[in-house]
Amino acid sequence: MLGVEDFVNEAIEDIKSKITGKAIIACSGGVDSMVAATLTSKAIGDRLLAVYVDNGLMRKGETDEVRTMMEHMGINFKIADAGEQFFAALKGVTDPEQKRKIIGEKFIRVFEAEARSFGADTLVQGTIAPDWIESGDGVRDTIKSHHNVGGLPKDLGMALVEPLRDLYKDEVRDVARFLGVEASERQPFPGPALAVRCLGEVTPENIEIVREACFIVEDEIRKAAAAGKMPLPWQYFAALLPTRSVGVQGDRRAYGRTIVIRAVESVDGMTATYAKIPMDVLDVMATRITNEMKSQVNRVVYDITNKPPSTIEWE
Amino acid sequence: MKVYVVDNGGQWTHREWRVLKYLKVETKIVPNNTPFDDLKDLDGLVLSGGAPRVATDANLMGNNGVYLERAEYPIMGICAGMQFLSEFFGGQLGPSEVPEFGHVGLKVLDHDDLFKGLPDEFNVWASHNDEVKKVPEGFKVTATSPTCPVEGVTCLTRPIFGVQFHPEVENTENGPQIFQNFLDIIEKHNY
Repeated sequence: MLGVEDFVNEAIEDIKSKITGKAIIACSGGVDSMVAATLTSKAIGDRLLAVYVDNGLMRKGETDEVRTMMEHMGINFKIADAGEQFFAALKGVTDPEQKRKIIGEKFIRVFEAEARSFGADTLVQGTIAPDWIESGDGVRDTIKSHHNVGGLPKDLGMALVEPLRDLYKDEVRDVARFLGVEASERQPFPGPALAVRCLGEVTPENIEIVREACFIVEDEIRKAAAAGKMPLPWQYFAALLPTRSVGVQGDRRAYGRTIVIRAVESVDGMTATYAKIPMDVLDVMATRITNEMKSQVNRVVYDITNKPPSTIEWE
Repeated sequence: MKVYVVDNGGQWTHREWRVLKYLKVETKIVPNNTPFDDLKDLDGLVLSGGAPRVATDANLMGNNGVYLERAEYPIMGICAGMQFLSEFFGGQLGPSEVPEFGHVGLKVLDHDDLFKGLPDEFNVWASHNDEVKKVPEGFKVTATSPTCPVEGVTCLTRPIFGVQFHPEVENTENGPQIFQNFLDIIEKHNY
Protein backbone atom coordinates (compact mmCIF):
# COMPACT_ATOMS: atom_id res chain seq x y z
CA MET A 1 0.00 0.00 0.00
CA LEU A 2 1.11 3.55 -0.69
CA GLY A 3 2.01 5.63 2.37
CA VAL A 4 0.96 3.33 5.20
CA GLU A 5 2.43 5.56 7.88
CA ASP A 6 0.69 8.66 6.50
CA PHE A 7 -2.58 6.77 6.40
CA VAL A 8 -2.20 5.71 10.04
CA ASN A 9 -1.36 9.21 11.26
CA GLU A 10 -4.20 10.81 9.32
CA ALA A 11 -6.68 8.16 10.46
CA ILE A 12 -5.76 8.68 14.12
CA GLU A 13 -6.11 12.46 13.81
CA ASP A 14 -9.42 12.06 12.03
CA ILE A 15 -10.78 9.70 14.70
CA LYS A 16 -9.64 12.11 17.44
CA SER A 17 -11.54 14.94 15.83
CA LYS A 18 -14.69 12.88 15.25
CA ILE A 19 -14.97 11.19 18.64
CA THR A 20 -15.15 13.57 21.55
CA GLY A 21 -16.99 11.29 23.99
CA LYS A 22 -16.94 7.53 24.37
CA ALA A 23 -17.20 4.97 21.59
CA ILE A 24 -17.70 1.27 21.11
CA ILE A 25 -16.22 -0.73 18.27
CA ALA A 26 -17.87 -3.72 16.66
CA CYS A 27 -15.06 -6.24 16.83
CA SER A 28 -15.21 -9.71 15.28
CA GLY A 29 -11.53 -10.43 15.72
CA GLY A 30 -10.91 -10.23 11.98
CA VAL A 31 -8.19 -8.07 10.50
CA ASP A 32 -10.52 -5.18 9.54
CA SER A 33 -12.11 -4.68 12.94
CA MET A 34 -8.86 -5.31 14.81
CA VAL A 35 -7.06 -2.64 12.75
CA ALA A 36 -9.96 -0.23 13.28
CA ALA A 37 -9.85 -1.02 17.01
CA THR A 38 -6.11 -0.42 17.18
CA LEU A 39 -6.35 2.91 15.37
CA THR A 40 -9.28 4.04 17.52
CA SER A 41 -7.58 2.93 20.70
CA LYS A 42 -4.51 4.97 19.74
CA ALA A 43 -6.77 7.95 19.15
CA ILE A 44 -9.05 7.86 22.19
CA GLY A 45 -7.51 5.31 24.59
CA ASP A 46 -9.78 4.12 27.38
CA ARG A 47 -12.80 5.92 26.00
CA LEU A 48 -13.13 2.92 23.64
CA LEU A 49 -14.85 -0.37 24.38
CA ALA A 50 -14.47 -3.25 21.91
CA VAL A 51 -17.55 -5.46 21.73
CA TYR A 52 -17.35 -8.98 20.29
CA VAL A 53 -20.71 -10.60 19.70
CA ASP A 54 -20.83 -14.34 20.09
CA ASN A 55 -23.76 -14.86 17.74
CA GLY A 56 -23.64 -18.64 17.90
CA LEU A 57 -22.49 -18.65 14.28
CA MET A 58 -18.74 -18.41 14.78
CA ARG A 59 -16.17 -21.03 13.82
CA LYS A 60 -14.83 -23.73 16.13
CA GLY A 61 -12.82 -22.20 18.97
CA GLU A 62 -13.18 -18.70 17.53
CA THR A 63 -14.55 -16.91 20.60
CA ASP A 64 -11.65 -18.11 22.76
CA GLU A 65 -9.15 -17.17 20.08
CA VAL A 66 -10.57 -13.65 19.82
CA ARG A 67 -10.66 -13.28 23.63
CA THR A 68 -6.93 -14.07 23.75
CA MET A 69 -6.16 -11.53 20.99
CA MET A 70 -8.13 -8.84 22.80
CA GLU A 71 -6.29 -9.57 26.03
CA HIS A 72 -2.97 -9.24 24.20
CA MET A 73 -4.07 -5.90 22.77
CA GLY A 74 -4.75 -4.54 26.22
CA ILE A 75 -7.92 -2.67 25.28
CA ASN A 76 -11.29 -2.57 27.03
CA PHE A 77 -13.38 -5.36 25.63
CA LYS A 78 -16.58 -7.21 26.25
CA ILE A 79 -17.93 -10.47 24.87
CA ALA A 80 -21.69 -10.35 24.40
CA ASP A 81 -23.35 -13.75 24.39
CA ALA A 82 -26.25 -13.49 21.95
CA GLY A 83 -26.44 -16.89 20.26
CA GLU A 84 -30.01 -17.63 21.28
CA GLN A 85 -31.25 -14.24 20.07
CA PHE A 86 -29.67 -14.78 16.65
CA PHE A 87 -31.06 -18.30 16.19
CA ALA A 88 -34.52 -17.15 17.27
CA ALA A 89 -34.48 -14.30 14.76
CA LEU A 90 -33.28 -16.57 11.94
CA LYS A 91 -35.84 -19.30 12.53
CA GLY A 92 -37.54 -20.32 9.27
CA VAL A 93 -35.55 -17.83 7.17
CA THR A 94 -33.92 -19.17 4.00
CA ASP A 95 -33.49 -16.10 1.76
CA PRO A 96 -29.84 -14.99 1.79
CA GLU A 97 -30.60 -11.26 1.77
CA GLN A 98 -33.15 -11.61 4.55
CA LYS A 99 -30.62 -13.56 6.62
CA ARG A 100 -28.00 -10.86 6.16
CA LYS A 101 -30.41 -8.07 7.07
CA ILE A 102 -31.67 -9.86 10.19
CA ILE A 103 -28.10 -10.53 11.32
CA GLY A 104 -27.07 -6.92 10.64
CA GLU A 105 -30.00 -5.63 12.65
CA LYS A 106 -29.37 -8.03 15.56
CA PHE A 107 -25.74 -6.90 15.70
CA ILE A 108 -26.85 -3.28 15.90
CA ARG A 109 -29.34 -3.97 18.68
CA VAL A 110 -26.59 -5.63 20.73
CA PHE A 111 -24.23 -2.72 20.04
CA GLU A 112 -26.90 -0.19 21.00
CA ALA A 113 -27.40 -1.90 24.35
CA GLU A 114 -23.66 -2.09 25.02
CA ALA A 115 -23.21 1.55 23.98
CA ARG A 116 -25.90 2.63 26.41
CA SER A 117 -24.34 0.84 29.34
CA PHE A 118 -20.84 2.13 28.46
CA GLY A 119 -22.16 5.64 27.82
CA ALA A 120 -20.94 5.74 24.21
CA ASP A 121 -22.45 7.92 21.51
CA THR A 122 -20.34 6.62 18.62
CA LEU A 123 -20.12 3.27 16.88
CA VAL A 124 -16.84 2.45 15.14
CA GLN A 125 -16.85 -0.25 12.46
CA GLY A 126 -14.08 -1.83 10.40
CA THR A 127 -16.09 -1.43 7.19
CA ILE A 128 -13.88 -1.69 4.09
CA ALA A 129 -14.52 -0.78 0.44
CA PRO A 130 -16.05 -4.07 -0.78
CA ASP A 131 -18.60 -3.95 2.09
CA TRP A 132 -20.28 -0.76 0.90
CA ILE A 133 -19.65 -1.40 -2.79
CA GLU A 134 -21.39 -4.79 -2.77
CA SER A 135 -24.16 -3.57 -0.48
CA GLY A 136 -25.35 -1.26 -3.25
CA ASP A 137 -26.60 2.33 -3.17
CA GLY A 138 -28.43 4.79 -5.41
CA VAL A 139 -26.51 3.80 -8.52
CA ARG A 140 -25.00 0.46 -7.60
CA ASP A 141 -26.75 -2.89 -7.69
CA THR A 142 -26.92 -4.83 -4.41
CA ILE A 143 -24.80 -7.93 -4.81
CA LYS A 144 -25.13 -8.79 -1.13
CA SER A 145 -25.99 -6.67 1.89
CA HIS A 146 -22.96 -6.67 4.12
CA HIS A 147 -24.14 -6.77 7.73
CA ASN A 148 -22.24 -3.63 8.68
CA VAL A 149 -23.82 -1.58 5.87
CA GLY A 150 -27.11 -3.12 4.73
CA GLY A 151 -28.09 -4.01 8.29
CA LEU A 152 -27.78 -0.48 9.66
CA PRO A 153 -31.19 0.89 10.65
CA LYS A 154 -32.20 4.36 9.51
CA ASP A 155 -32.76 5.31 13.14
CA LEU A 156 -29.24 4.43 14.32
CA GLY A 157 -28.96 6.61 17.40
CA MET A 158 -25.17 6.83 17.27
CA ALA A 159 -22.58 8.58 15.16
CA LEU A 160 -20.83 6.16 12.82
CA VAL A 161 -17.05 6.22 12.29
CA GLU A 162 -15.47 3.95 9.68
CA PRO A 163 -11.75 4.67 9.31
CA LEU A 164 -11.08 1.95 6.70
CA ARG A 165 -13.87 2.70 4.21
CA ASP A 166 -11.55 3.33 1.28
CA LEU A 167 -9.25 0.37 1.84
CA TYR A 168 -9.29 -3.17 0.47
CA LYS A 169 -8.17 -6.26 2.36
CA ASP A 170 -4.60 -6.21 1.03
CA GLU A 171 -4.23 -2.61 2.18
CA VAL A 172 -5.76 -3.34 5.60
CA ARG A 173 -3.23 -6.14 6.02
CA ASP A 174 -0.39 -3.72 5.21
CA VAL A 175 -1.70 -1.36 7.89
CA ALA A 176 -2.10 -4.31 10.29
CA ARG A 177 1.52 -5.38 9.76
CA PHE A 178 2.71 -1.80 10.26
CA LEU A 179 0.77 -1.58 13.54
CA GLY A 180 1.75 -5.08 14.66
CA VAL A 181 -1.87 -6.25 14.83
CA GLU A 182 -1.99 -9.94 15.71
CA ALA A 183 -4.89 -10.66 13.34
CA SER A 184 -2.96 -9.36 10.31
CA GLU A 185 -2.86 -12.72 8.50
CA ARG A 186 -6.22 -14.19 9.54
CA GLN A 187 -8.31 -15.26 6.58
CA PRO A 188 -11.42 -13.20 5.81
CA PHE A 189 -14.55 -14.35 7.63
CA PRO A 190 -17.74 -12.44 6.85
CA GLY A 191 -19.83 -10.83 9.58
CA PRO A 192 -22.90 -13.06 9.06
CA ALA A 193 -20.42 -15.84 9.78
CA LEU A 194 -21.49 -19.46 9.26
CA ALA A 195 -25.08 -18.37 8.53
CA VAL A 196 -24.09 -17.56 4.92
CA ARG A 197 -22.28 -20.90 4.62
CA CYS A 198 -25.41 -22.74 5.64
CA LEU A 199 -27.76 -22.60 2.64
CA GLY A 200 -31.35 -22.94 3.68
CA GLU A 201 -32.48 -22.53 7.27
CA VAL A 202 -29.98 -21.56 9.94
CA THR A 203 -30.57 -23.96 12.82
CA PRO A 204 -28.13 -24.90 15.61
CA GLU A 205 -27.92 -28.38 14.06
CA ASN A 206 -27.08 -27.10 10.57
CA ILE A 207 -24.55 -24.65 11.97
CA GLU A 208 -22.88 -27.46 13.89
CA ILE A 209 -22.49 -29.44 10.63
CA VAL A 210 -20.95 -26.58 8.68
CA ARG A 211 -18.79 -25.58 11.67
CA GLU A 212 -17.21 -29.03 11.84
CA ALA A 213 -16.78 -29.24 8.06
CA CYS A 214 -15.18 -25.76 8.01
CA PHE A 215 -12.81 -26.87 10.73
CA ILE A 216 -11.74 -29.94 8.75
CA VAL A 217 -11.24 -27.93 5.52
CA GLU A 218 -9.23 -25.25 7.31
CA ASP A 219 -7.18 -27.86 9.16
CA GLU A 220 -6.31 -29.95 6.09
CA ILE A 221 -5.54 -26.96 3.87
CA ARG A 222 -3.29 -25.45 6.53
CA LYS A 223 -1.48 -28.77 6.90
CA ALA A 224 -1.10 -29.13 3.13
CA ALA A 225 0.26 -25.58 2.86
CA ALA A 226 2.69 -26.14 5.72
CA ALA A 227 3.90 -29.30 3.96
CA GLY A 228 4.57 -27.30 0.78
CA LYS A 229 1.85 -29.07 -1.22
CA MET A 230 0.03 -25.85 -2.08
CA PRO A 231 0.14 -22.15 -1.29
CA LEU A 232 -2.22 -21.09 1.50
CA PRO A 233 -5.29 -19.73 -0.34
CA TRP A 234 -6.66 -16.25 0.33
CA GLN A 235 -9.79 -17.79 1.80
CA TYR A 236 -10.86 -21.42 2.31
CA PHE A 237 -13.89 -22.96 3.94
CA ALA A 238 -16.84 -25.34 3.67
CA ALA A 239 -20.48 -24.59 2.85
CA LEU A 240 -23.49 -26.78 3.57
CA LEU A 241 -26.06 -27.33 0.82
CA PRO A 242 -29.77 -27.68 1.63
CA THR A 243 -30.21 -30.78 -0.53
CA ARG A 244 -29.73 -34.43 0.30
CA SER A 245 -28.38 -37.25 -1.85
CA VAL A 246 -28.19 -41.02 -1.75
CA GLY A 247 -25.10 -42.84 -0.54
CA VAL A 248 -24.04 -46.19 0.82
CA GLN A 249 -22.29 -46.58 4.16
CA GLY A 250 -21.30 -50.03 5.45
CA ASP A 251 -23.77 -51.80 3.13
CA ARG A 252 -26.58 -49.52 4.30
CA ARG A 253 -28.38 -46.88 2.37
CA ALA A 254 -27.56 -43.31 3.38
CA TYR A 255 -29.47 -40.17 2.51
CA GLY A 256 -27.33 -37.30 3.74
CA ARG A 257 -26.15 -33.76 3.23
CA THR A 258 -23.61 -32.30 0.83
CA ILE A 259 -20.59 -30.22 1.78
CA VAL A 260 -18.91 -27.86 -0.69
CA ILE A 261 -15.19 -27.17 -0.48
CA ARG A 262 -14.51 -23.55 -1.46
CA ALA A 263 -11.06 -22.01 -1.64
CA VAL A 264 -10.05 -18.90 -3.58
CA GLU A 265 -7.09 -16.75 -4.48
CA SER A 266 -7.65 -13.01 -4.41
CA VAL A 267 -5.99 -9.73 -3.51
CA ASP A 268 -8.90 -7.48 -2.72
CA GLY A 269 -11.94 -9.76 -2.69
CA MET A 270 -13.45 -7.92 -5.68
CA THR A 271 -12.26 -10.54 -8.15
CA ALA A 272 -11.13 -14.05 -7.28
CA THR A 273 -10.04 -17.31 -8.88
CA TYR A 274 -10.76 -20.69 -7.36
CA ALA A 275 -7.70 -22.17 -5.68
CA LYS A 276 -6.25 -25.23 -7.38
CA ILE A 277 -6.16 -27.69 -4.50
CA PRO A 278 -4.08 -30.81 -5.24
CA MET A 279 -6.21 -33.92 -5.78
CA ASP A 280 -4.67 -35.79 -2.87
CA VAL A 281 -5.54 -32.94 -0.49
CA LEU A 282 -9.13 -32.90 -1.79
CA ASP A 283 -9.20 -36.63 -1.29
CA VAL A 284 -8.10 -36.40 2.34
CA MET A 285 -10.71 -33.71 3.05
CA ALA A 286 -13.56 -35.61 1.40
CA THR A 287 -12.72 -38.83 3.21
CA ARG A 288 -12.26 -37.15 6.57
CA ILE A 289 -15.52 -35.17 6.29
CA THR A 290 -17.61 -38.18 5.23
CA ASN A 291 -16.03 -40.48 7.86
CA GLU A 292 -16.00 -38.14 10.84
CA MET A 293 -19.41 -36.71 9.98
CA LYS A 294 -21.00 -39.90 8.68
CA SER A 295 -24.36 -39.29 10.32
CA GLN A 296 -24.82 -35.99 8.50
CA VAL A 297 -22.71 -35.88 5.35
CA ASN A 298 -22.25 -38.45 2.58
CA ARG A 299 -21.10 -36.25 -0.31
CA VAL A 300 -18.42 -33.60 -0.86
CA VAL A 301 -18.07 -31.36 -3.93
CA TYR A 302 -15.42 -28.86 -5.00
CA ASP A 303 -16.41 -25.37 -6.21
CA ILE A 304 -14.44 -24.38 -9.32
CA THR A 305 -15.99 -21.02 -10.21
CA ASN A 306 -14.28 -17.65 -10.23
CA LYS A 307 -15.63 -14.27 -9.12
CA PRO A 308 -17.23 -13.06 -11.36
CA PRO A 309 -19.57 -14.77 -12.13
CA SER A 310 -19.90 -16.29 -8.65
CA THR A 311 -18.99 -14.63 -5.37
CA ILE A 312 -16.55 -16.04 -2.83
CA GLU A 313 -19.17 -16.98 -0.25
CA TRP A 314 -22.29 -18.84 -1.39
CA GLU A 315 -24.79 -16.31 -0.02
CA MET B 1 -2.52 15.93 -12.93
CA LYS B 2 -6.21 15.68 -12.14
CA VAL B 3 -8.13 12.69 -13.47
CA TYR B 4 -11.55 11.94 -11.99
CA VAL B 5 -13.73 8.84 -12.18
CA VAL B 6 -17.40 9.20 -13.16
CA ASP B 7 -19.42 6.68 -11.16
CA ASN B 8 -21.91 4.81 -13.30
CA GLY B 9 -22.57 2.35 -10.49
CA GLY B 10 -19.86 -0.22 -11.23
CA GLN B 11 -18.63 -2.82 -8.77
CA TRP B 12 -15.11 -1.72 -9.68
CA THR B 13 -15.51 2.08 -9.89
CA HIS B 14 -13.59 2.40 -6.62
CA ARG B 15 -10.85 0.15 -8.03
CA GLU B 16 -10.40 2.65 -10.88
CA TRP B 17 -9.96 5.34 -8.24
CA ARG B 18 -7.44 3.10 -6.44
CA VAL B 19 -5.36 2.44 -9.57
CA LEU B 20 -5.24 6.16 -10.38
CA LYS B 21 -4.29 6.95 -6.78
CA TYR B 22 -1.46 4.41 -6.95
CA LEU B 23 -0.28 6.05 -10.18
CA LYS B 24 -0.08 9.26 -8.13
CA VAL B 25 -2.57 11.47 -9.88
CA GLU B 26 -5.10 13.62 -8.09
CA THR B 27 -8.34 11.68 -8.31
CA LYS B 28 -11.87 11.54 -6.99
CA ILE B 29 -15.06 9.59 -7.67
CA VAL B 30 -17.91 11.82 -8.82
CA PRO B 31 -21.58 10.95 -9.42
CA ASN B 32 -22.58 10.77 -13.07
CA ASN B 33 -25.02 13.65 -12.65
CA THR B 34 -22.23 16.07 -11.70
CA PRO B 35 -22.58 19.24 -13.82
CA PHE B 36 -19.90 19.50 -16.49
CA ASP B 37 -18.91 22.92 -15.14
CA ASP B 38 -17.60 21.20 -12.00
CA LEU B 39 -15.39 18.98 -14.17
CA LYS B 40 -14.16 21.42 -16.76
CA ASP B 41 -10.77 22.01 -15.15
CA LEU B 42 -9.73 18.37 -15.17
CA ASP B 43 -6.92 16.86 -17.23
CA GLY B 44 -8.77 13.65 -18.00
CA LEU B 45 -11.80 11.60 -17.12
CA VAL B 46 -12.66 7.92 -16.72
CA LEU B 47 -16.25 6.80 -17.33
CA SER B 48 -16.76 3.76 -15.13
CA GLY B 49 -18.74 0.64 -15.83
CA GLY B 50 -22.04 -0.04 -14.15
CA ALA B 51 -25.13 -2.14 -13.86
CA PRO B 52 -27.20 -0.10 -16.38
CA ARG B 53 -27.81 -1.80 -19.71
CA VAL B 54 -26.80 1.19 -21.74
CA ALA B 55 -28.98 0.53 -24.76
CA THR B 56 -32.17 0.53 -22.69
CA ASP B 57 -31.26 2.33 -19.45
CA ALA B 58 -29.55 5.36 -20.99
CA ASN B 59 -31.28 7.60 -18.45
CA LEU B 60 -29.17 5.98 -15.73
CA MET B 61 -26.03 7.18 -17.46
CA GLY B 62 -26.59 10.76 -16.27
CA ASN B 63 -24.38 13.41 -17.83
CA ASN B 64 -21.91 11.07 -19.55
CA GLY B 65 -23.09 12.43 -22.89
CA VAL B 66 -22.48 16.03 -21.83
CA TYR B 67 -18.93 15.19 -20.78
CA LEU B 68 -18.28 13.51 -24.13
CA GLU B 69 -19.71 16.47 -25.97
CA ARG B 70 -18.01 19.26 -24.10
CA ALA B 71 -14.73 17.99 -22.65
CA GLU B 72 -11.59 18.69 -24.62
CA TYR B 73 -9.40 16.55 -22.39
CA PRO B 74 -8.92 12.79 -22.90
CA ILE B 75 -11.69 10.42 -21.78
CA MET B 76 -11.53 6.67 -21.27
CA GLY B 77 -14.75 4.67 -21.01
CA ILE B 78 -14.68 1.28 -19.30
CA CYS B 79 -17.28 -1.46 -19.91
CA ALA B 80 -20.66 0.35 -19.78
CA GLY B 81 -18.61 3.55 -20.20
CA MET B 82 -17.27 2.28 -23.53
CA GLN B 83 -20.68 1.06 -24.58
CA PHE B 84 -22.20 4.43 -23.81
CA LEU B 85 -19.61 6.42 -25.75
CA SER B 86 -19.89 4.05 -28.70
CA GLU B 87 -23.64 4.51 -28.87
CA PHE B 88 -23.36 8.25 -28.22
CA PHE B 89 -21.18 8.73 -31.29
CA GLY B 90 -23.47 6.66 -33.52
CA GLY B 91 -22.51 3.03 -32.92
CA GLN B 92 -24.85 0.21 -32.04
CA LEU B 93 -25.16 -1.99 -28.96
CA GLY B 94 -26.88 -5.28 -28.29
CA PRO B 95 -26.87 -8.31 -26.03
CA SER B 96 -23.58 -10.19 -26.14
CA GLU B 97 -23.48 -13.24 -28.35
CA VAL B 98 -21.41 -14.81 -25.58
CA PRO B 99 -21.55 -12.90 -22.27
CA GLU B 100 -18.13 -12.71 -20.65
CA PHE B 101 -17.68 -13.09 -16.89
CA GLY B 102 -14.17 -13.49 -15.61
CA HIS B 103 -11.22 -14.52 -17.74
CA VAL B 104 -10.95 -13.41 -21.40
CA GLY B 105 -8.02 -13.90 -23.79
CA LEU B 106 -7.44 -10.43 -25.23
CA LYS B 107 -5.99 -9.90 -28.69
CA VAL B 108 -4.57 -6.43 -29.28
CA LEU B 109 -5.10 -5.09 -32.81
CA ASP B 110 -3.57 -1.67 -32.34
CA HIS B 111 -0.66 -0.69 -30.11
CA ASP B 112 -0.82 3.08 -30.77
CA ASP B 113 -2.46 4.32 -27.58
CA LEU B 114 -3.87 2.38 -24.59
CA PHE B 115 -2.00 -0.80 -25.54
CA LYS B 116 1.36 0.85 -26.25
CA GLY B 117 4.26 -1.44 -25.35
CA LEU B 118 1.98 -4.31 -24.37
CA PRO B 119 2.00 -7.87 -25.76
CA ASP B 120 -0.19 -8.86 -28.72
CA GLU B 121 -2.14 -11.21 -26.48
CA PHE B 122 -2.74 -11.24 -22.73
CA ASN B 123 -5.31 -12.22 -20.10
CA VAL B 124 -7.92 -9.75 -18.95
CA TRP B 125 -11.13 -9.93 -16.91
CA ALA B 126 -14.52 -8.83 -18.08
CA SER B 127 -18.07 -8.83 -16.75
CA HIS B 128 -20.74 -7.79 -19.22
CA ASN B 129 -24.07 -8.79 -20.73
CA ASP B 130 -24.03 -6.41 -23.71
CA GLU B 131 -21.48 -5.49 -26.35
CA VAL B 132 -20.76 -3.02 -29.13
CA LYS B 133 -22.30 -4.44 -32.31
CA LYS B 134 -21.29 -1.61 -34.64
CA VAL B 135 -18.43 0.76 -33.98
CA PRO B 136 -19.24 4.44 -34.64
CA GLU B 137 -17.86 6.08 -37.73
CA GLY B 138 -14.48 7.66 -37.07
CA PHE B 139 -13.54 5.03 -34.48
CA LYS B 140 -11.18 2.07 -34.83
CA VAL B 141 -11.28 -1.27 -33.00
CA THR B 142 -8.11 -1.63 -30.94
CA ALA B 143 -8.66 -5.04 -29.33
CA THR B 144 -10.81 -8.12 -29.68
CA SER B 145 -11.36 -11.54 -28.09
CA PRO B 146 -12.70 -14.92 -29.24
CA THR B 147 -15.99 -14.18 -27.47
CA CYS B 148 -16.38 -10.42 -28.04
CA PRO B 149 -15.43 -8.69 -31.30
CA VAL B 150 -15.04 -5.20 -29.82
CA GLU B 151 -12.86 -5.17 -26.69
CA GLY B 152 -11.38 -1.73 -27.33
CA VAL B 153 -12.08 1.41 -29.40
CA THR B 154 -10.27 4.66 -30.14
CA CYS B 155 -11.68 7.79 -31.75
CA LEU B 156 -9.63 8.90 -34.75
CA THR B 157 -10.23 12.62 -34.31
CA ARG B 158 -10.51 13.20 -30.56
CA PRO B 159 -8.71 11.71 -27.52
CA ILE B 160 -11.54 9.34 -26.63
CA PHE B 161 -10.88 5.69 -25.78
CA GLY B 162 -12.85 2.71 -24.62
CA VAL B 163 -12.26 -0.79 -23.28
CA GLN B 164 -14.92 -3.43 -22.80
CA PHE B 165 -12.88 -5.39 -20.25
CA HIS B 166 -11.73 -4.09 -16.86
CA PRO B 167 -8.12 -2.86 -16.66
CA GLU B 168 -8.68 -1.82 -13.01
CA VAL B 169 -9.07 -5.30 -11.49
CA GLU B 170 -6.21 -7.35 -10.07
CA ASN B 171 -6.73 -10.30 -12.40
CA THR B 172 -6.29 -8.25 -15.58
CA GLU B 173 -2.69 -8.45 -16.73
CA ASN B 174 -1.03 -5.12 -17.57
CA GLY B 175 -3.97 -3.22 -16.10
CA PRO B 176 -1.96 -0.47 -14.39
CA GLN B 177 0.07 -0.05 -17.62
CA ILE B 178 -3.13 0.58 -19.59
CA PHE B 179 -4.00 3.33 -17.11
CA GLN B 180 -0.41 4.66 -17.31
CA ASN B 181 -0.70 4.78 -21.09
CA PHE B 182 -3.91 6.78 -20.67
CA LEU B 183 -2.07 9.16 -18.33
CA ASP B 184 0.77 9.48 -20.87
CA ILE B 185 -1.80 10.39 -23.50
CA ILE B 186 -3.17 13.07 -21.15
CA GLU B 187 0.33 14.35 -20.49
CA LYS B 188 1.01 14.68 -24.22
CA HIS B 189 -2.39 16.21 -24.90
CA ASN B 190 -1.79 18.95 -22.35
CA TYR B 191 1.69 19.59 -23.63
